Amino acid sequence: MKILVGIKRVVDYAVKVRVSKGTVDLANVKQSMNPFCEIAVEEAVRLKESKNASEVVALSIGPKQCTETIRTALAMGCDRGIHIQTDLRTDYMDLQPFAIAQLFQKIVEKEKSDLVLLGKQGIDSDCGQTGPMLAGMMGWPQVTFAAKVEVKDGGLLVERETDSGTETIQVKSLPAVVTCDLRLNEPRYATLPNIMKAKKKPVETLKAEEMGVDLVPHNQVLEILEPPPRKEGIMVENVDSLIDKLRNEAQVI
Amino acid sequence: MFTRAGYAPFASAVTRLPSLLASVGPARRTLSSPSINALFNPTDEHLAMRATLRTFVEREVEPQAAHYNKTETFNRDLFRKLGTVDQDHGLGVLGLTVPEEYGGLGLDATAVALTHEELSYSDPAFCLAYLAHALLLANNLAVNGSEAQKSRWLPDICAGTVVGGMCMSEPNAGTDVLGMKTNATAIEGGGGWKLNGTKMWITNGTLDGRTTGDIFLVYARTGPAKTDLTQFVVEKNMPGFSLGQKIVDKLGMRASMTAELVFEDVILSHDHVVGEVNEATLCMMRNLEIERIGLAAMALGIARRSIDEMKRYALERQAFGARNLFEFGQIQRLIAESYAEYMAGRCYVYGVANSLDLNKAGNGLDADGTKLYCAKMSKEVADRAIQVMGGYGYVGEYKVERLWRDAKLLEIGGGTNESHHKNMARDLRKRGIAPLD
Repeated sequence: MKILVGIKRVVDYAVKVRVSKGTVDLANVKQSMNPFCEIAVEEAVRLKESKNASEVVALSIGPKQCTETIRTALAMGCDRGIHIQTDLRTDYMDLQPFAIAQLFQKIVEKEKSDLVLLGKQGIDSDCGQTGPMLAGMMGWPQVTFAAKVEVKDGGLLVERETDSGTETIQVKSLPAVVTCDLRLNEPRYATLPNIMKAKKKPVETLKAEEMGVDLVPHNQVLEILEPPPRKEGIMVENVDSLIDKLRNEAQVI
Repeated sequence: MFTRAGYAPFASAVTRLPSLLASVGPARRTLSSPSINALFNPTDEHLAMRATLRTFVEREVEPQAAHYNKTETFNRDLFRKLGTVDQDHGLGVLGLTVPEEYGGLGLDATAVALTHEELSYSDPAFCLAYLAHALLLANNLAVNGSEAQKSRWLPDICAGTVVGGMCMSEPNAGTDVLGMKTNATAIEGGGGWKLNGTKMWITNGTLDGRTTGDIFLVYARTGPAKTDLTQFVVEKNMPGFSLGQKIVDKLGMRASMTAELVFEDVILSHDHVVGEVNEATLCMMRNLEIERIGLAAMALGIARRSIDEMKRYALERQAFGARNLFEFGQIQRLIAESYAEYMAGRCYVYGVANSLDLNKAGNGLDADGTKLYCAKMSKEVADRAIQVMGGYGYVGEYKVERLWRDAKLLEIGGGTNESHHKNMARDLRKRGIAPLD
């Protein structure tokens, strides 16, 4: 089984972003691998370690700093990397899921991947669309929000997060697209010997503009606003006045 | 704010991966200019190492620090995880500067600095045990040992199956290191050496409190001249080699074991002699430079953590009707001065480390200088953190009192402040009236 795993470089989860000039300010902001993509990488590497996968290829789309993100994936255990380089913003401002899914499609066709593992969504734009769109374009089965992945009878048995619990889905045969949710696994940290070894693993660089995909966004972001600051709370005297306020002022009970 | 633990918009609430970073606060925006950040992480590999260390420290080191401090015990299991013995899961930093053919990584002094900085953010005492093993033992042997010696001992040292250190100080010879009395005499007929003496303040000298650590480099007098010193490898269970005492009740660095080691007629074959006979003073000086960078970098970790803690507390605590403690000039001064001094120290350490050649002596002045400056800086920054936090800062649960106690060791161990004064003044006097560059 050949696995393609998508890794997106996003603003680090711990950063408090600032909005300026109608968009999220990316200057001097720490960026790192999207946490859900880290989970996808971990799952891919585990499938390789359990001898279910023969090769794991990591694909990232974005600016030249994406090579750092790819090196992290290689240090975690991916075999080689592909970098589709572009200076377009990948947080929905410029490059959007429809174009990204098409870029993925080109690579999947070239690499003859059997399984595409993606994060369930990027934490910058929170779209969650790339996986489903890619599956649609390829005509492949898909399972989103995976919480457990098991290789079974030439296909996959996937436990899937839902609003009310989990459901178990049998993917009868590969190829398929699976997007990974938070509980699937706990990603490993890259060990130092593996960081050094990752330096020697091959990374292929392609140009997004030369892939034969229309990169122009179909939707336009009009405005980005910071969430309004939370209003100061009040102290109530006792339970009775709390109930009174909830009933009459807030009108929630 | 997004945290992994709390982020599950479609799934039921998931709480795991307790994140230190999340609890420290949201500010991960780079504060400093690109030229300063390039100083701290000169290459992509350094950046990747730092990221990995930060994850490791957050997940593995932070949760255990308070317990081992309290019980004055050594976390052998965690130390193992620093090695490569657990394939693909060990962090692999024990042989940081050791060439790859002996099981190490062959990395530079910058890697040394950032590893010590990151480990000390959560547990300076654990980092001290690491320093004794990785720098005083592994790096020393890698630089000064023969091919045969390196092949024999370094793979286990890098893997983490053995834990050891280096023996220099004695009960009556510390800063005056050349005043050491431990001696080795040649056995008649050329059968090797007989080692006698007592070494004091040996980090990793014991691991369990009952027996010695596994392997040590021991400096001993082998000739009549003051600098006639030779370095020997001594291993656990050699006849005559024993634990004098585990040193207990230390002010700080309580999770690293310190011991007195006794050598009584320990017979050592010629293949236990590291380097040339009577030539070990140079080995010593060369290795002290990287040790001092390591210790100075530990001070950076202590300072950075102290600043994070005082900032966090100041943001949360309200007083006199003000929004938080940041509103008060006295607190502003404690925080701002701490940050400026920390950054000055950090620039000095990485400025020196980025071009330090591990195989040469010659950076003594600045290696001493970084430690002299940073040790005091970290103690004062930890002190300010306690001051900002008031009574809470004085209590173990809030961590900064431990950092303050640990920081004090840096003014004594690996060279007292006074030894740095002496060395640096000597080097500066040598330059005569020549102006500084």
